[in-house]
Amino acid sequence: MVTVRLPLLILSCAALVAGLTGAAHVPPAARASAAQAPSCGAPYRIERTLPGGAAWRLCWEMRTIEGLTLADVVYTPVGGAPISVLRSTALAQIHVPYDSGEPRFHDIGTLGENAVVLQEADCPGGERRERFVCVTVRPRGHAYLKPRPGEPNLSAQGSELVVYAAFEIGWYTYLVEWAFSDDGAITPRVGATGSLSGFTAAPEYGWPTKRGSTHVEQSHSHNVFWRLDFDVAGRGGDIVEQYDFTGSGTARRALGRKVLDKETAAVNRRTRWWRVADSETRNADGHRVSWEIGNSDSAEYRGPDDEAFTRADLYVSQYRDCERLATVNPAPDCAQSVDRYVNDERLTDPVVWVGVSYHHVARDEDADPMPTHWQGFRITPRDVTAENPR
Amino acid sequence: MGRGRTAAIAGAAALAGSLFLLGGGESPQAAGAPARSPLPGDPLTGEEITRAEQIASATLRAHMTSGRVEFLYVERDDDKAAADRRRADAYIYDYGANRLIVRTVDLGSGRVVAERAGKGVQAPPSRGEEARAAELLLADRRHGRAVRAAYAGAAGRALRSPAELGLRALIFSPRPKDRTARECASHRCVRLLVRLPDGTWLNTTRTVVDLSAKKILTLEW
Repeated sequence: MVTVRLPLLILSCAALVAGLTGAAHVPPAARASAAQAPSCGAPYRIERTLPGGAAWRLCWEMRTIEGLTLADVVYTPVGGAPISVLRSTALAQIHVPYDSGEPRFHDIGTLGENAVVLQEADCPGGERRERFVCVTVRPRGHAYLKPRPGEPNLSAQGSELVVYAAFEIGWYTYLVEWAFSDDGAITPRVGATGSLSGFTAAPEYGWPTKRGSTHVEQSHSHNVFWRLDFDVAGRGGDIVEQYDFTGSGTARRALGRKVLDKETAAVNRRTRWWRVADSETRNADGHRVSWEIGNSDSAEYRGPDDEAFTRADLYVSQYRDCERLATVNPAPDCAQSVDRYVNDERLTDPVVWVGVSYHHVARDEDADPMPTHWQGFRITPRDVTAENPR
Repeated sequence: MGRGRTAAIAGAAALAGSLFLLGGGESPQAAGAPARSPLPGDPLTGEEITRAEQIASATLRAHMTSGRVEFLYVERDDDKAAADRRRADAYIYDYGANRLIVRTVDLGSGRVVAERAGKGVQAPPSRGEEARAAELLLADRRHGRAVRAAYAGAAGRALRSPAELGLRALIFSPRPKDRTARECASHRCVRLLVRLPDGTWLNTTRTVVDLSAKKILTLEW
């Protein structure tokens, strides 16, 4: 496989290099995105080549309100050229309603002020950046395994670059993490640990913990929202599509594609997924490069009328710099919650908001320190490379 | 997973969260002065944060001294239309008019280049507001007594200052049924989470501190 690494390539010589290497899987727009220098320097720049040869590059920032924020995320597949994925991503809210109806929290305050100082043991095998951020690499199991007659198995172990920070918000410690896999996938997730709140409730709203049945720990949801400003294959040209598969109780299932050309609030369905594609850039097979968003693991919390932001699982809004949080948005002259960002406006620069719910019914094992429970979703490359990038 | 290590981690967190140990330049979101000019995507440096605060509040000094206007904090401006410039958003609250003001400072020119202001919209509480909410809670006869008793139980001695409490405040926005806190729709109201020295948190979920009216409210549910 030809290895093409063009981190500093300027556009004018791109065509020449493509001609010399015959690397048809290095499309012009991808080269343009690769030519952009990172917007940050040390120690805020993360550049890591994973054991299999794939690489990721990004910037991090601990923002006062949103906490750990990642920017200018660029993926380089094995043997391929750098291609940008995200301009920025951060948490946009952690909404915590309790099952009896009260209390209900919006846990993003000044998240950056509540970052936990990580000890060496909290960042195994990695490096701590400015005490609050861990950058490490960990194995992710089999990348593939294929038996071959008369030959050793064709197999490889995958790995991922992980960037995370921890935040102490009252009883909870939230682990806020993004994993960047050697196959081009991104897994944003949040783990809740620390302590249970100890809020009690009538038996129908909780589960008895501690000895006997007098302490009924109240059940609750963690509704986590992420804001994702994609920049697939360079700035501009991002389009969002929604895929569904018809047929229930039938032998056939037909693929249905819908271009989301206007701001949209979408709900999950078992086989529904979305993708953000670049309108110009194609891989060597002639297919549009894209990253796919799957969100089927959510408990899909739906709240009362005054919490309309819980009525959908994925929102697509036109970029507006004042729209940062999914609820309690701290910006005058701007809408206050993600459901209000969606107004049928035509999309030319889409921002994706993903909500994932986790319903926590406490158990005895959740006694202090509460074991971490995780929630998140997957962003997977679709047709970024023309074959398995290995 | 030994208990000792867990306790050490919790201790470090308490240290980081302590009110007086983290000044502006050392807070997590402030870049620790690299020996180079910051690139456009770098976090604000401690010097930039201080300068942005001074520029943004230059016309408000009298109101800040009188306590009518309060400077909250600075966030790096992330408007991608100005991604090549070093800009900072200064968050300011005008308690006199119950109005949030966000001033965008261009650190290159040293000028305020944009201002957005509005009522009924809230930015997260600042460290200073957390401390003031704790003072109001302690000054309230019923709540103050309860907090002091819980502190004495956890620490084995009396509370000397609000700074001895671990504090986290979150904006409280009233829901339609919160009749006792209806004014919080236009006032600046917070829920105050209070951590005791034994690592436990007080149950203050029914308690709301109205910073605008300097009142303690109790939610009815």
